[in-house]
This record gives sequence, structure tokens and C-alpha cells, in this order.
Amino acid sequence: MSVSDLPRYDFCHVESLAALCDMLSSRNGKGMVLLAGGTDFMVEVSQGAPRRGALPLVVDISRMPELGGIDWDGTRLRIGAAVSYLELARHAAVAEHAPLLAAMTYDIGGPTIQARGTLGGNFATASPAADGVAAIAAFDPIIEVQSVRGRRRIAMADLQTGYKTSTRADDEVIVAFELEPPPPGTPWVWRKVGTRMAQAISKVALAAVAQIDDGVVTRFGAAMASVAPVTALLPNVRKLMTGARVDEVDAAALDAAVEADVAPIDDVRSTREYRAHCAKALVRSFVISLRH
Amino acid sequence: MKVELIVNGEARIVELPPMLRLLDALRGPLGLCGTKEGCGEGECGSCTVLLDGEPVNACLVAIGQCHGREIETVEGLARDGHLSPLQHCMSAHGGAQCGICTPGMLIAAEWLLRRNQAPETDDVRRAIAGNICRCTGYERIVASVLAAAKLMRGDAP
Repeated sequence: MSVSDLPRYDFCHVESLAALCDMLSSRNGKGMVLLAGGTDFMVEVSQGAPRRGALPLVVDISRMPELGGIDWDGTRLRIGAAVSYLELARHAAVAEHAPLLAAMTYDIGGPTIQARGTLGGNFATASPAADGVAAIAAFDPIIEVQSVRGRRRIAMADLQTGYKTSTRADDEVIVAFELEPPPPGTPWVWRKVGTRMAQAISKVALAAVAQIDDGVVTRFGAAMASVAPVTALLPNVRKLMTGARVDEVDAAALDAAVEADVAPIDDVRSTREYRAHCAKALVRSFVISLRH
Repeated sequence: MKVELIVNGEARIVELPPMLRLLDALRGPLGLCGTKEGCGEGECGSCTVLLDGEPVNACLVAIGQCHGREIETVEGLARDGHLSPLQHCMSAHGGAQCGICTPGMLIAAEWLLRRNQAPETDDVRRAIAGNICRCTGYERIVASVLAAAKLMRGDAP
């Protein structure tokens, strides 16, 4: 692409989260793109497809300190919205308390995508195929957002309302994710079915954690990518598994729960039938692995 | 927008539209055509460069995001007219064939070798997982990177 073909975007850096919130508020959250890693938006730009109407104002938030950082306080893991997947993969507390997240980062893309992509960006884009969203959703995180009206905490279960829509207002900035991981050593799984080891969008991906005490599942968190209009939180599977004895889970009931929890479609990456099959197989194989 | 950045150790200033891709800035006004464009969508890794020491697809980075930052491209690998050990091994072991993926492969491998002086085969495969090569079948690239690690450690061949 030559420089002359490039749409003339306005572009700015913002110094603070407060200034960003003011800017969003003055525009009612419209006509702005918050640019972090750019793994989605830069592709749209270079394909020369400006959205309808005026070009958005692009605000570079990739190095805003208030959106960065990973903290472990002994109970909770807090991950800044603009933390890259590479930072996530390297962090000692993530490796120890949420190894599922570290494992996911290796599948989300090669090192170049890991170095740029962010959890905040994936939540903002809200694709149901996002590996990062499914992986963290297994931990039932809180999504912290901020606007001129203040800071608000949204539970994962209350976030998604439909295909790429959510209860987050247009002028609310995703600031951080907070989760309480189960104790180290808790069984977990991250399984991605894709066409290539890196850079492939999932056909189906499963993230799950299962805390077991004396053979009984005391906490079961799970989520799946690319099987529904939103990141599937698998409520029926969770209900069936929580409180169940791991060696007494009925295979047919488990399959039925998965079937009730997903609504896969045919698209460029896979078929409805294959996705439905994989969804059941991935959940079943995790549950079987829990029996030792 | 005026962007001040360091490219291969040299301070450069460019005046460009902020949403221009780093890739176009490198190959155009910065005069560094070593970085290749493959897919232009972050899939193939041909345009891999280092941004503050981390590998990125230059096609997915806006030049406006590069102000005050350091970029390293394939042109920065050779020293005083001599190929780096990695470049030498890539050539000697048949890791480069048609050459389109090579600059990106070299940068991806360079990033690995800076962090890991004794990589295993799997470390190399993981480091280049985002780089597609349609010629070599990867075996010779992996062998080249392992040989370079050995050479740089000074191990007996």
C-alpha cells in the first residue's frame, strides 16, 4: 500500500486513564478506536475498509501504565488490560497459579502475536473465537471498567449479551481482569483444535479447571471458544460437575449438557457437526482425566 | 506525524501518517528493504522485526506507535560486513531457499538465541511457530538455528 492510499486517520497518545475517560465521554464513546496491540485493527486498516461514516480517532493506549502490570496478592491475580500475552506467559505468578493461561498464550499465535495481543483487546473486540477470553473465563474473572462515572466491576457471567455485544458501555475502558485461581496443583485443561500450531483461529477450544476434594468436585470452571455467538460458559456442564463425584459422572448426561451449552455453526474454519463432536470429546476427555 | 525512533542502533526521524504500517516505513522512507511483506495480515511472519527487543509483525504495528522506540531489522544482524553466526549457519545449512521468509526467520531465531543460548529443538520450533516457509519443510531452518547456537557457545563442531 502506498502512503497516498492510506485513509487519513487522526491519531493521538493519551497520558492518563482519566484523560482517556474524559475524551471518550466527550464523544459519547463513539468514533474512537483504542489501539493496543493492533492485531485486529491494523488488518482492517490495511485492507482499506474504513467503517461507515467518518474515520475513527485512533488513540494509542499500548503503553498506558494504568492498563499494565500483573499483580498477585496471595489470593487474587490481577492482570492489566494492555498486558501482552508474552508478558502473561513469562510471569511467575501466572505460571504458578494459573498455568492454564500460560499454556493458552503459546496457542494464541506465534511469538509476534503474543508480543502484541492483549486480553483487553480480545475482550473489546469480543469475538467468540478468542482463545484468551475463553481461557480466563474458566476462572470466572471480574472485568474492571472505568469511565467518567467511576470504576465498575462486571462479573464474567454478566458481561456478554450477544454476538460481539456486552454490558460494557461505549465510553467504558477495560482496565483489568481479576481472578481467584484455585490452589496450585488443581487439575486444568487448555485444548485448542485448529489447523496450525500458531496463528490459527480456533475451530473449538476448551479451558477448564476442576478443584477436587475427597473425590468430589468442589469448583468447576469452564469455557469454550468458537462454539456459540459468545464465549460459551457451559452452565449445564458446570451444574452437572459441581458437587459430583468425579468417578460417577454419567457420560451420556455429560454429552447432553455440552450439547445444551453450545450452538456451533458452519463457517470458513469448520463445520457445525465437527465442532459439536469436538466440544463433547474435549469435555469428556478432561472429565475422564480427573478420575486418575 | 513526526516520529523519532532508533533503527538498528541509529537515531532516525520520519514524518509520516501515524497509521502507516511500520513495514511500509521501513521499506520506504527508512530505506530498509530487507524486511519482506508476505501476507500483510500477521499470519506469515515474513515481516518480523524486533520492537524494543520483542518480535512483532511489522505489518501490524502503526508507525505512530513507534515514537521513542527501538527497531531492529535483518540489516542490523551483520557486523562490519560479516554475516552473524546465525546468518552464516542459515546459509551453510540450507536454511534459506527462496528467501522470502528468511529475514523474518532470522529475526525470530535471533530473538530466541538472545534469551536462550542452548535451545532444544522444541524451543526453536516454538520460536519460529509464527513464521511460514514454503520451501524448506523447516528441518533445515531448525538445524541452522541449532548449529548457530552451538557456534555462538563455542562448542566443538
